[in-house]
Formats: sequence, C-alpha cells, structure tokens
Amino acid sequence: MKRLLVPVLTLALGLGAAAPARAEGTLEKINQSGVLVIGTRTASPPFAFVNKNNEWVGFSIDLVEQGILPALSKKLGKPIKLEKKESTPPTRIPLLTSNAVDLIAGTMTDTRARRDSVDFSLTFFVTGAQFLVKKSSPIKGIESIAARRIAAQQGSTNAKIIRERVPTAKLQEFPDQPAAFQALVQGQVDAYTNDGIQLYGLRAKAPKPDDWKVVGDFFSYEPYGMAMRKNDSDFRAVVNNGLMELIESGKYFELYDKWFGPRGETPYPLTPENKRFLIMQVVPK
Amino acid sequence: MNYTFQWSVLWSGQSGGWLLQGLITTLELSALAWLLAALLGIVSGAMRTVPWRLLRTLATFYVEFFRNVPLLVWMFFWYFGVPPLLPEAVREWLFDHGAEFWAGMFALGVYHGARMSEVIRSGIQSIPRTQFEASVAMGLTTFQAYRLVIVPIALRLIVPPATSESLNLLKNSSVALTISVAELTFQTRQIETYTARAIEALTAGTLIYLVLCVGIATIMARVERRFAIPGLIARGG
Repeated sequence: MKRLLVPVLTLALGLGAAAPARAEGTLEKINQSGVLVIGTRTASPPFAFVNKNNEWVGFSIDLVEQGILPALSKKLGKPIKLEKKESTPPTRIPLLTSNAVDLIAGTMTDTRARRDSVDFSLTFFVTGAQFLVKKSSPIKGIESIAARRIAAQQGSTNAKIIRERVPTAKLQEFPDQPAAFQALVQGQVDAYTNDGIQLYGLRAKAPKPDDWKVVGDFFSYEPYGMAMRKNDSDFRAVVNNGLMELIESGKYFELYDKWFGPRGETPYPLTPENKRFLIMQVVPK
Repeated sequence: MNYTFQWSVLWSGQSGGWLLQGLITTLELSALAWLLAALLGIVSGAMRTVPWRLLRTLATFYVEFFRNVPLLVWMFFWYFGVPPLLPEAVREWLFDHGAEFWAGMFALGVYHGARMSEVIRSGIQSIPRTQFEASVAMGLTTFQAYRLVIVPIALRLIVPPATSESLNLLKNSSVALTISVAELTFQTRQIETYTARAIEALTAGTLIYLVLCVGIATIMARVERRFAIPGLIARGG
C-alpha cells in the first residue's frame, strides 16, 4: 500500500500542475481552431439562459456574438465560430485555467481577489445584491435577516458579504439558482439573495411573478466583467475593443433595450449614472 | 499563462478552519448514513434469501427501486419532496434544525442500503446450504439460524466488497452539496471563492478524501484478517 501511495500522489499532483501550463496565447489557440469557446450560464435570465424555444440566448451571449466575435474575426482575418459551454460560479475559474474555455461571459463579478487568478474585460453591467422574498415576508433588506434562513448561490460574492456582515444569519448555499429558488418556494429558506438583476430575472420567469418581491438596498457593488486567462493582453485587448465598439456605436444600448427594456425579458431601466459610466470606459481610437 | 501555486491559501485566514469543519460534516454525514445503510442492507439482504415469498418481494422492491435511481435525484427527493408531506410544525422545526443534513443522510443511507443489500445477499448465498439445514436440524428457528449462524458468517465473507461500498458512500457524500450541506467538497469550493485559487483548494480536498479512504481501507484489511474464519475462508498469500 505504502509503495503505491507515492506514485499515485505524484501522478495526481502532476496532472493538476501540467494541465493549466500551456505556452501559446489565446489568440493563437483561436486562430488554429477557428472557434471561440465561452463559458456561460444556462439559468441566469436575461444574461444567459435557455429560453422557451430551447435556445441558449441572453444579453451576455449577444455581446459576445455581436461585439467580440466580429472583433476577433477582424483581428485574425477569418470567420470565427462560437461554442458555448456551461459554467457555474464554482467551475468558471477552473474551466478557464484548464483551457476548457477561453472567455467567461455570464454574470461574473469583477473582484480584486479574482484578479489574482484571472483577468477581466471592462465592466459591461452594474448591479448589486438584494433579496427575493415571498410577498408577505417581513424581510426588508440586509438589516432584517439576523437569525433568518437565507439561500445564496455557492461561490458568489453575496454569500461572502452576508457571512461577514450578518454572522447570525443561517446561510445555505446552493450550486445553482433553480435549487435555491425551489428552497425559497417550499419555505426551507426565508429569502434568496443574489444580484438584484438576477432576482428580477428569476421573478419574471416564476409561474406567478406577483407572489414575489425584490427587497432591500444594494448591499454590494457587483460590476460584471468577462473573465479571461491571466497575462494574455493581446486577447484581452480584442475583447475590450469589441465591447467598446458596441458601446460607441450604440449597439450596446439596443441590446440593453432588447433584454432589459419595457418589453424585454426583465425590465430594468438603465440609470443615467450607469450609462455615463459605460460610455466613459470607452477610450479614444 | 503559467499558473503559480500559492499553497499558503490553505492555511492562511479561515481556510484551515473551513476544511476542518467540512471534514467533520463529511464524517458525521457518512458515519450516520453508513449505519443506516448497514442496517437496511443486512435486513433486506437477509430478507431476499429467506423462504417466505412476501418478504423476498418486499426486499427486492426496495433494492431495485432505490439503487436504480441516481443519488442526485434522491437528494432532491428527500430535501424537496419529503418536507411537504410532513405536518407544518414538524416541517418548520426541521427547517430550523439542519433539514438539509438529515435529507442528505437519508438519501445516502437509503441509497447505499440498497447497494449494500446486494453485497450481503451475495455473501449469504455463497454459504453452503447445508449450514442453514444443519442449524435448523439443531433446533434453531429460521430467525435464530440467520441471527446466530448465517449473517455472522456472511458479514465475514463480504468485508472486501463492503469496504468498497463504504468508500463509495464516503465519496458520494459530496453530492449533498447540491442541497446546501456544507461538507468537505463544499468547503474546498468556499476556499476557492474567497481566494480564487481553485487548483490548490481542489488538491487539498482530493488529498483529504484520498487519506480518509486509504485509512479506512487499511483498517478494513485488518478487520478482514482478524475475523476470517480459519478453514472456511481461503486467504491468498
């Protein structure tokens, strides 16, 4: 047994270490395969979700298809195809570092801790954490969740903040949104916390949206960015150029209206403040 | 794109405490589920070999129903499906006292009980029929024959496959994170969230599972040697 243990451990560690190390840049990889592989969500309307017609669509996916793909094709001088893979908060960084995907385009918040392992594009959406509760619930925000059972998404920044600010809240973390919502529906938990926009999305998709309400002031700042492998500035520049092009041409705001406008999947008006912030991220040509 | 390892994330800050908490939860969950699985497995495994048809049918139904549905589905069943069947007061009490832990325990225990049952049945069926006949001839009732002769011998015979099954149970306890049980795999992901260091956290989790499983396997190998019946169970080497 002992004689076997050492080689097994070496193998396990060796595999873990060998996989992420790869010399070529992402642009080179895409040039060779002709495919951009993104990791995105399947149940986070309206950013990325599977709709009623069983199509995998959303705002984040549109940004990639209409902004980043054209920028890549232009840079590499040939058409690039898009491939979508599912990624969840716990899997997205490993998917990137293992080269399984090239870009995370979903609902990932840009944080300083995450910047230690991945690089982010410019911010393409701004939101903050709130709570989804039953209409009759006494919960009004983060100030009234002490000793309550709160569901959160595993690996999200919201869970982290609650653990630090309200240690008495009973936090239950689920790997995906449907399970957390089901727990809320059945009463296993009193509230579900996530980024406000995602809660509005969930509410809009619920069988009876009027039974639910989104409450509380933003208790976190959640700037969404697209994540890439670290230290690959050529690829990052192309991604950022694609996004800037979308904002500058106004196409971004058309897409925003398509998904968040009054007749969109999740009505969520763009504040003038956020609009200015987006425009100011665009650097001159 | 080279990845620089930062192993210190595993012991700096709260990481060490989380890993320990996760380890304790995994052990608690697995130990309780194992007891349930062993009990259900022995009872239903024995029932499948008794001379009464009704008991055999009942046990067969239990085994085939529970082992042929994925564990993940059972997790959701016990967590989401069972509580609405309980009275309101019991349900509220459960929700306040770690419903997810108990749901995970039942899901694991009942599922692995069905698998354990097959192991035990094969042990019982490998005992020559004459053992049972001799017991009955000596005046034991069928129940006594099982309790005093058949099951004790079968349990000694099945140590190797039962060890595999127990290790499976331990590793399968990680599925409970889907219903928000904060066990070991959950905690390694938690460390990843806080430090964004996935490979280090996953390696720590992998090593802990490996050490646990190798440890249990070693203990079980000793148990097997210690309780082997000389002359009845042939041993290699």
